[in-house]
Amino acid sequence: MQDFVSISLVYLGIYALSAWSLNLQFGYAGIINFGWIVFQSIGAYFAAVTSLGPVTSHSYQSYIFGSSLSFPLPLIIGTLAGAVLAAILGFIVLTRKIRSDFVAVIMLVVAIISLQVVVANVSLFNGANGLSGIPQPFNGVLHLSRSGYQWFYVGWMAVICVIVYFGIEWLCRSSWGRSLRAMREDEVLATHLGINVQFLRLVVFVIGGGLAAFSGALLVEFLGAWSPDAWSFVETFVVFVAVYIGGRGNNRGAFLGALLVPVIFGVFPSFLPAFGYPGLSSTLQWVVIALLWLVTFYFRPAGILPEGRLIVQRQGLPDVSSMFRRGRQGKEKAMQSEGR
Amino acid sequence: MTTLTREIVGVSLEVRGIEVNYDGVAAVQGVDLTLSPGEIVGLIGPNGAGKSSLTNAIAGDIRVKSGVIRIGERDVTRMAAYKRARLGMSRTSQTARVFGAMTVFEGLVTSVRGNSGASLATTLRVGSARVSEAAAAEKAWELLDHLGLQHIANNFGNELSGGQRRSIDLAMAVIREPSILLLDEPMVGVAPALVPALLNEVRTIADRGAGVLIVEHALDVIASLCHRVIVMAAGAVIANGTYQEITENEEVRRAYLS
Amino acid sequence: MNIYIEGIGFGVIAAASILLGAMGFTLQFGLTNVLNIGYGALMTFGAFSCYLLHVWGVNVWVSVALAGMATSLLTLLVAKTILTVYVRRGAALFEMAMITFGVALILENGLAALTRSNTYILNMGLEHAHTLGPIRFTTTQLILVILAVSVFILLDTFLNLTKVGKALRATAVDPDLARTSGIATNRIVTIAWLISGFLCGMAGAVFTIDIFTVNAFTGDSLMPLVIVAALMGKAGSVRGAVFASLVLGIVTQVVSIAGASSYDSVVAYGALAIALLANPKLLQGGLVAERVQITV
Repeated sequence: MQDFVSISLVYLGIYALSAWSLNLQFGYAGIINFGWIVFQSIGAYFAAVTSLGPVTSHSYQSYIFGSSLSFPLPLIIGTLAGAVLAAILGFIVLTRKIRSDFVAVIMLVVAIISLQVVVANVSLFNGANGLSGIPQPFNGVLHLSRSGYQWFYVGWMAVICVIVYFGIEWLCRSSWGRSLRAMREDEVLATHLGINVQFLRLVVFVIGGGLAAFSGALLVEFLGAWSPDAWSFVETFVVFVAVYIGGRGNNRGAFLGALLVPVIFGVFPSFLPAFGYPGLSSTLQWVVIALLWLVTFYFRPAGILPEGRLIVQRQGLPDVSSMFRRGRQGKEKAMQSEGR
Repeated sequence: MTTLTREIVGVSLEVRGIEVNYDGVAAVQGVDLTLSPGEIVGLIGPNGAGKSSLTNAIAGDIRVKSGVIRIGERDVTRMAAYKRARLGMSRTSQTARVFGAMTVFEGLVTSVRGNSGASLATTLRVGSARVSEAAAAEKAWELLDHLGLQHIANNFGNELSGGQRRSIDLAMAVIREPSILLLDEPMVGVAPALVPALLNEVRTIADRGAGVLIVEHALDVIASLCHRVIVMAAGAVIANGTYQEITENEEVRRAYLS
Repeated sequence: MNIYIEGIGFGVIAAASILLGAMGFTLQFGLTNVLNIGYGALMTFGAFSCYLLHVWGVNVWVSVALAGMATSLLTLLVAKTILTVYVRRGAALFEMAMITFGVALILENGLAALTRSNTYILNMGLEHAHTLGPIRFTTTQLILVILAVSVFILLDTFLNLTKVGKALRATAVDPDLARTSGIATNRIVTIAWLISGFLCGMAGAVFTIDIFTVNAFTGDSLMPLVIVAALMGKAGSVRGAVFASLVLGIVTQVVSIAGASSYDSVVAYGALAIALLANPKLLQGGLVAERVQITV
């Protein structure tokens, strides 16, 4: 019983990172990345192959770049792989004037093609069977039981999520984050203010892609395996729904979405005893997620925690700098914000 | 004015032989134009004369088929719009653009030159970023005071009335302390009580060395503000002189004023 | 060489179902500007309807027509109840695409739950094979191709020669202008949904007859090629959709026969991606606006 709590918490962390990465690309910058899952996958794959060790004649799976790098290198390499992929794709796709839903379609098509190429080309990442036997970091050192290791990973994920959350919030509340929203709201006007929209979009895409890949690398180190089953469009759909329900353009909202959608509807049912015929609950959970999406978008399109509004107040000319002072005191004195 | 204001560097705008095409139709044909520092030039003409097309071309929002655009010594004909903005060009749009889901205050603070956080590098210099943020906030409040618009500081762009949108569009252009200011029908729909304050901002900017090009239909605005007026019709310039001179010009009368 | 001609033959047969689906999809997309990702679920519905009717003893070709009719009604229902609701709420284009995906998830997984994710076999009985040079085909496959071609001719005639058809095309190009020039756009939209739903259902039915199996996700295997064909053939252009379907059908089958069967759809998608990147205007046809074109 305890198992499913720890595993759910790990997944919460993973989906939180996923939601933040998508929220950055989509909620703040308005990029519709329907191929999001590819970035999580490439992070997982690259972290896997760099910790599985080189391919030998005794190996039962084949893959590229085999090496046995120690922690934290596979994580870093996985993250970088996502960032590089985002840079390449972003450069090809985002630096043109294409209507937003076509961008979505192109990214989706890229995801589908990547999936087929990986499945067809066994030498890349072991094709449809995927990779398994990926070593979990620190396992040899800590000598924990299986459930003990799971709880260790919960702690590990918690630390990471706290760091990432504060990093992303700082980014989004800075003037850089403001220029993202400006770009999202009116690209032409942003250009008139001297904002290099194309470059900015590329940078956001790369950061989001890197973060998505990071989540994939962390997940694969927990699961020990990764295969093409894990990266169909529904995965992207789930993260989009999470961000929509929780609240776009709001990182706490994104976390809330991560909590609601994948964990409650994705992870918990798989631990419940099967009812009906085997596989019924996993089929039905898609119906539930879709219904949740349709209902929420109808009643609360902005999400549970909407983006909110920054309210500023004048405190008298000499003390103007306190307006933007960080910390609770400065904030209470000079600035109140709603839902931020 | 605060001590943090930079002096506007006076550069001239020079436009030669501009041709702009939309789907094969020549919107602007062979227009020459110069704008000196401190000059306010009006651009008038009937609808379809090419005034907005010319303004868009100068700002870099559309490409020119041929011709040269120079800011000071630099040839900016092929330069992207955002780069021209960074060189000191500001503009308002014919459709009064504002940021829908950002507050007026945020929009103004973003417009302050150097504060748009356009690069991560600028943002990461935490110390100096904090200073420029505070200075930008101060500028924003000052401008809102001058315009009497403090009460809408926390309104979203999409909560503004038409006249307010236009005022804020102008405010965002003005707060950049541009060297060259392009205004496209900036007074349309603005409450009459607000117009003098806006005109005052434009005059102040010009007094500090900026060159201003203003497209307008309201001739009283043109008369009170402009040192010189250019008249366009059917894509070409048909007159160039003081307000007095062009109102007496026969061709202008026929094309526009009658 | 013969093997490639065989591939072309298979391609033509495959194109029959792609063609029907693409015509239906391009009508919807051309009219509403919405990428209906639920189209696959509707094709599955058509496939299942045909299968059930056939099992209950109805002649298979009548079943195809009836399946088409059933799907057209379902399509109209979904469009008028679900899609309209979200359009009225001001959903953006990609949000509508996600809405349609949500609807598809519900339809197909609901169906999977009902059928316990079984796959059923559509038994056409043993058939005599004909030959045309190196190409071998059954009577059924021949009828499928003839059916698809006939439907295309009928539809093309309807769109170009009848008053309603022309009104439909006018509405697709400029709905506001159509409305002000007296066209009853609401009725036209209803007719468009019915026709495209009919084609959609037929596509699913024809596809299932061709592969003689059906399950809750049948439409999903056909849908990608349908969408690619519709987009490549230019939004709203039925003739374009037909041509693109033919090319796609043949190319995927030939690639498959040439030994790279796992890459067959990569070719299709790659072509679409390249086309979208190189000149998106090509595919938009008359659509420029980035909003839902018409109150569905």
